[in-house]
Amino acid sequence: MENILLLVHPALGGLATLTALWVFVDTLNVREETLSRIKNVSLLCALLMWLTYFLGGYWYLVYYAADKAIIKAGPWAFGHGFFMETKEHVFLMLILLATFLPIVASNNLAVDKGARKLALWVSGLIVPISLSMEGSGAVISIAVKVGLLFKGLGG
Amino acid sequence: MENKGIGKFTVSFGLSFAIISVLSALLVVLKETHEETVLAWMKSLTGHHWATHGIINLIVFVVLGWILPKLGNGQGMKISANVLVIAVVGAVILSEIIITGFYI
Repeated sequence: MENILLLVHPALGGLATLTALWVFVDTLNVREETLSRIKNVSLLCALLMWLTYFLGGYWYLVYYAADKAIIKAGPWAFGHGFFMETKEHVFLMLILLATFLPIVASNNLAVDKGARKLALWVSGLIVPISLSMEGSGAVISIAVKVGLLFKGLGG
Repeated sequence: MENKGIGKFTVSFGLSFAIISVLSALLVVLKETHEETVLAWMKSLTGHHWATHGIINLIVFVVLGWILPKLGNGQGMKISANVLVIAVVGAVILSEIIITGFYI
């Protein structure tokens, strides 16, 4: 169960990132005919991000303590001290940014330049922040591996 | 194609996002520097400070997003899209700096 969650969490996050990128590109070329698609994909982005949050949050609250102990005792203690601490708190902001995206997309982006600009910024911000979440998750995973190797070598 | 301008809920939830992003980052600093009081209190509410943090963020985001449009006799706050973009982007950058800066 634990390992399945660890796979599904970043996979959903990756899909959420792709939907944000989709919204960004679709908004660059927005027309009246594409408005409903942008709204739907924006909503999908928010839903995927919330699913990522619930699954990752469940794993973090239930399973992470053991990994945390391994990381903190190993040579890559920054995997928790910086990457996990930053990740878990930046994500709280990211989830609200993703929630805001379909609200922005509910405007007529084909006509309203201001709303279009806002949609580009919001979707454009979600992509790099989400990628930094994925990268941080990778560092945390390696930190556990390094910690286990260190422990196995009698460190 | 009629342009009715940016929606009042877009403005309110955008401002709400900007406000809660910065407050959330400040709460990170506050709870981590006051483990015996703030962090312990947050843990006592849900069993984990991070869960409480997320719930506080969500409640403030939703409440502010619904209250702000009621200002100005229900007209909502009148700000331009450019100002809203600056508020949202500025809040993201500032909260990122606060959080990453704190844990470096």
